[in-house]
Amino acid sequence: MSDSKKEAGVLGQLFKTFFSKHWPVWVGGIVLGTLNILLFAIKSPWGASGGINNWGENVYRLVGVFNLENAQPLSESLYGMLCLFLVIGAFIGALLSSEFALRIPPIGELIKGFIGGSLMALGATFGIGCTIGAFFSGMPALSGGAIIFTIGLFVGVIVALKYLMWEMEKFPGFSTGKSYNFLSGTGKKGIWQKWAGWIVLIVTLIIAYQYSGGNKIMAWFIIIGMLMGLISQRSRFCIVKAFRDPFMTGEADGSVGIMAGLLVGLFGFTIIKYFGIGVGDIALRTREMTWVFPHFFLRAAIGGLIFGIGMTIAGGCAVGTLWRVGEGQVKLWASALGFLILSPISKHYIVPPIVNSLPQSWDFKNYLPDYIGYAGAFTLVIFIILLWYVFVKWNEKTGRFSAY
Amino acid sequence: MNVAIDQTLDVKGLSCPMPMMKLAKIMKGMKSDEVLEMLGTDPGTKSDLPRWCDKTGNTLIDKNELDGGIFRFLIKKK
Repeated sequence: MSDSKKEAGVLGQLFKTFFSKHWPVWVGGIVLGTLNILLFAIKSPWGASGGINNWGENVYRLVGVFNLENAQPLSESLYGMLCLFLVIGAFIGALLSSEFALRIPPIGELIKGFIGGSLMALGATFGIGCTIGAFFSGMPALSGGAIIFTIGLFVGVIVALKYLMWEMEKFPGFSTGKSYNFLSGTGKKGIWQKWAGWIVLIVTLIIAYQYSGGNKIMAWFIIIGMLMGLISQRSRFCIVKAFRDPFMTGEADGSVGIMAGLLVGLFGFTIIKYFGIGVGDIALRTREMTWVFPHFFLRAAIGGLIFGIGMTIAGGCAVGTLWRVGEGQVKLWASALGFLILSPISKHYIVPPIVNSLPQSWDFKNYLPDYIGYAGAFTLVIFIILLWYVFVKWNEKTGRFSAY
Repeated sequence: MNVAIDQTLDVKGLSCPMPMMKLAKIMKGMKSDEVLEMLGTDPGTKSDLPRWCDKTGNTLIDKNELDGGIFRFLIKKK
């Protein structure tokens, strides 16, 4: 009897470790970087905008507009399901930590969420990727376009942050007003959240098991997507925060967390590409070129810029939007809605005529090892991360580039 | 906790980055040793705010969770 009590205490402590306090962002970054390597090992790296685009295409397919009747059904789309279970994983994380609530912001914030999400869709379709595919996975994939996309993101974030500060100064009423909070897990009444969290977790595992017979890759995408959502929610993993906070409050924690994930991913991705791990029936060159998109340099620059503006206005990048959707932040529901509505329209109707008018030398696949070898490409990405680290830590100390 | 509150900042319903932006702005206009009460609903503030206080030298003198999922913080200006 006493033994079982002792065991319960140990498990209780373990539960508290995961769900009583937020994790340091760098812990989240390292675990997410590792899961990203696992995704690449079994198929291809982490991406978010493609999955949200799949949601949008399925919505239009159901409605019967834009000739998208051949869109891949969500249940068969690896990235559509990865994103869906990322939301569910964040929902589980929020429930188990009693942090779930339906948080409805003032109307001005909902509008900003929708506009930010729409801009992210435009940026992701023009730049072929988002902060995950073209940055968090793109940099470790040794893609030259990812570096350009990152520069575009920085510029976009600074522009949009200036806008937010101007708006707060000139139109403070836009982000104030009536707000609502439902279903919060505060106090004893909130115990239902923990039970609901366990139930959703078990259902997720059953769904993954259902897929494991005929589609093993999907089964693992579901499990990894769920873990990614849960870890992102617990560690508040947010790429917009990493880019924005040094210029806002001067804090560097968010940036360092993302760098930790990039570094882990860089080692894993380089090894997979260098040794052709998981090459299977495809050519080694195809494996090497995974997540190296034809966006160098103009598409990456413009896409990154638009995406950076969008994510700062929305208050969450593609993945930051998804896990906050699972946490019940209705502003980010508006962002996800804007993203999924505009993404297929942008992909099929807005971007192609613009891209077709560009010379090929403005949007090609730039694989860094082709120019400077594996050692050179690896060292260059490390150098960029180090430079970023030195900048944010120096800025944190001096406040030189911080607004507050 | 029995503390005289000089100003209250209500950021209920707002999500990142608005609570921290509004906090940083209002604190700029406050005098040393004045106390700000902040009410919000974004869970991110629970970890963002103590880090910001550490960095800026302001003191987080109290934090608790009220009914309805509202987080309450008391911050003393440096």
